[in-house]
Amino acid sequence: MAAVKLINVSKVYDGKNKVVHEVDLEINDKEFVVLVGPSGCGKSTTLRMIAGLEEISEGEIFIDGKLVNNVQSKDRDIAMVFQNYALYPHMTVFDNMAFGLKLRKFSKNEITERVNHAAKILDMEHLLDRKPKQLSGGQRQRVAVGRAIVRKPKVFLFDEPLSNLDAKLRVQMRAEITRLHQRLEATTIYVTHDQTEAMTMGDRIVVLKDGIVQQVDSPMNLYNRPANKFVAGFIGSPAINFIDGKIVKENGLAFISREKLISFQLSPDNSEKLIPYIGRDVTLGIRPEEFRIESKGGYKINVEVDLVEQLGSDVYLHFNLEGIPFIGRVKPTMDFRSRKEFELYFGSEMIHLFDSAEGKKIN
Amino acid sequence: MKKYLVISIAIILGVMTFLPFLWMISASFMSTGAANTYPPKLFPDKFDFSHYQNLLTRLNLARYLLNSLVISLGVTFFSLLLNSMAGYAFAKYRFARKKRLFKFLLSSMIIPGQVTMLPVFLILKNMGFINTYFAIIVPGMASIFGIFLIRQYALSIPDSLIEAAKMDGATELQIYFRVILPLCKPILVTLGLFTFMGTWNDFLWPLIVMTDSSMYTMPVALANLMSEHVQDTELMMAGSVITIVPVLIVFLALQKYYIKGIMMGSVKE
Ligand SMILES: Nc1ncnc2c1ncn2[C@@H]1O[C@H](COP(=O)(O)OP(=O)(O)OP(=O)(O)O)[C@@H](O)[C@H]1O
Ligand SMILES: [Mg+2]
Repeated sequence: MAAVKLINVSKVYDGKNKVVHEVDLEINDKEFVVLVGPSGCGKSTTLRMIAGLEEISEGEIFIDGKLVNNVQSKDRDIAMVFQNYALYPHMTVFDNMAFGLKLRKFSKNEITERVNHAAKILDMEHLLDRKPKQLSGGQRQRVAVGRAIVRKPKVFLFDEPLSNLDAKLRVQMRAEITRLHQRLEATTIYVTHDQTEAMTMGDRIVVLKDGIVQQVDSPMNLYNRPANKFVAGFIGSPAINFIDGKIVKENGLAFISREKLISFQLSPDNSEKLIPYIGRDVTLGIRPEEFRIESKGGYKINVEVDLVEQLGSDVYLHFNLEGIPFIGRVKPTMDFRSRKEFELYFGSEMIHLFDSAEGKKIN
Repeated sequence: MKKYLVISIAIILGVMTFLPFLWMISASFMSTGAANTYPPKLFPDKFDFSHYQNLLTRLNLARYLLNSLVISLGVTFFSLLLNSMAGYAFAKYRFARKKRLFKFLLSSMIIPGQVTMLPVFLILKNMGFINTYFAIIVPGMASIFGIFLIRQYALSIPDSLIEAAKMDGATELQIYFRVILPLCKPILVTLGLFTFMGTWNDFLWPLIVMTDSSMYTMPVALANLMSEHVQDTELMMAGSVITIVPVLIVFLALQKYYIKGIMMGSVKE
């Protein structure tokens, strides 16, 4: 097991396209770190540089304290699970898992033992004689994971391993991989574009955008204290609601949206930080679940709901404010379909304010 | 109804194409002169193996058979090895001017083989290869068509498979032998079959480079025989049978894979 350290790592394609920008990252031993971000943000490229499948243009990568920039993949002692599984089609499941061990000259007994053990953990002992094309998507995924674990590598790398599975299987495999990590306690770097996967699996999450690290933090911190507008918008489902406005000074500090439909006093705790932003454009972010249907203090807004989505445990209320679509997430305490006009309340503790121009969080 | 019509037409056509072939075999067993009688016979009155005996003993055909076999197998083996390596490299390796080099190779396919015969002959002569097996094996070791065929096939192998093998600890050579080659089997069989048959049946090139009669290949030897024994139809037919049988065996044995090879990629698996 090992720590992984990236110092100032960049990737430039064809001498001009910089797709990963000076990534600094320290991944501790036994940690499960998720790289998440929208398509094309450089997640795979970063992972592949760690794997040794892609040259490192600038910076240094250390695995277990050893500089690996010029170490070949096969000598880095890492294993990777690919999005398309990448099983060898001409080999049986057993041979697929045994291949890496055979190349590393393990004894026959050791190979059999390790493969059987992995098959047992992944509940696929009955599949060992099959060829990959005789397996379902979920089973192939298992074999791919099995192939990674039999080698007992220092670091596991996953590149969107679940994105080819259907929704139900994805949830199941998600839990399985998390459990596997708890059991094996191996350092794991997991790439996904799915924020739910990131939130549920990661000890820490790295949010990437356009090859730049936006924030590295635990799932809860990422959710409650996003570093900027992008992170706030990316993490959470349904997504956070944004509305532009200004900070003004009346008594204390207050936020007023452009068309003044939302206006409320900001809590004095943050005024220190907010004073420089008086009169400037800011963006307010409110998570859907911050809206409440009953008043327990807080601020009131009158909304006209144009769509109600009932999920059983929750109800999503869709409405427009100043031409911007909002979603509120409330408990199903009443029949929301019977009327359109609602009074919604929210408190000022859990709101987020961002500098509109830079996107930086300011409160 | 329509189905039966199609089948019966197919059968008639099949018999018509197969008949000369059948008669060749049948005539090779007739006693001397029997094939030329009128009305022509379809089957020998009694089986006469003397032509085969003659060919293999007195006329030294065994030697030519061996020549053909060594040359054809040699060309097939080396061309499969080299073409697959080159095709794989063109498909999956990143190197400078790859595209341009490949286009250049492809464009050389339009040069007719006859144009290069003389220069190649001279080169081989200077190397001292004339009248050796190398004279045919060396020029046949790589073909642009073969490289192209393998490249197209190898392009369909996902990169991640090669990367997975790398992470599993395979060296480049191990990746090639243990992952790429097995996956290319259908196309290798197809190409191997083409190459084997092409080399076995080739007449002109062996005629040019094998001036010593002991180095003749089957087709050359047969042609030679023909000029000496024009009237002996039965002997000629026996010679033809011996020439064709090895190719036939190879073809039938590999037919299963061969069909798979040319059908490959037409349907999504
Ligand atoms: N071989 C390459 N040559 C040039 N550009 C590349 C190459 N591979 C990737 N890129 C570019 O690098 C950027 C990052 O790609 P990368 O595959 O890392 O994205 P990603 O975050 O994994 O996206 P996805 O979620 O779609 O897999 C993209 O803009 C892509 O076009
Ligand atoms: Mg990717």
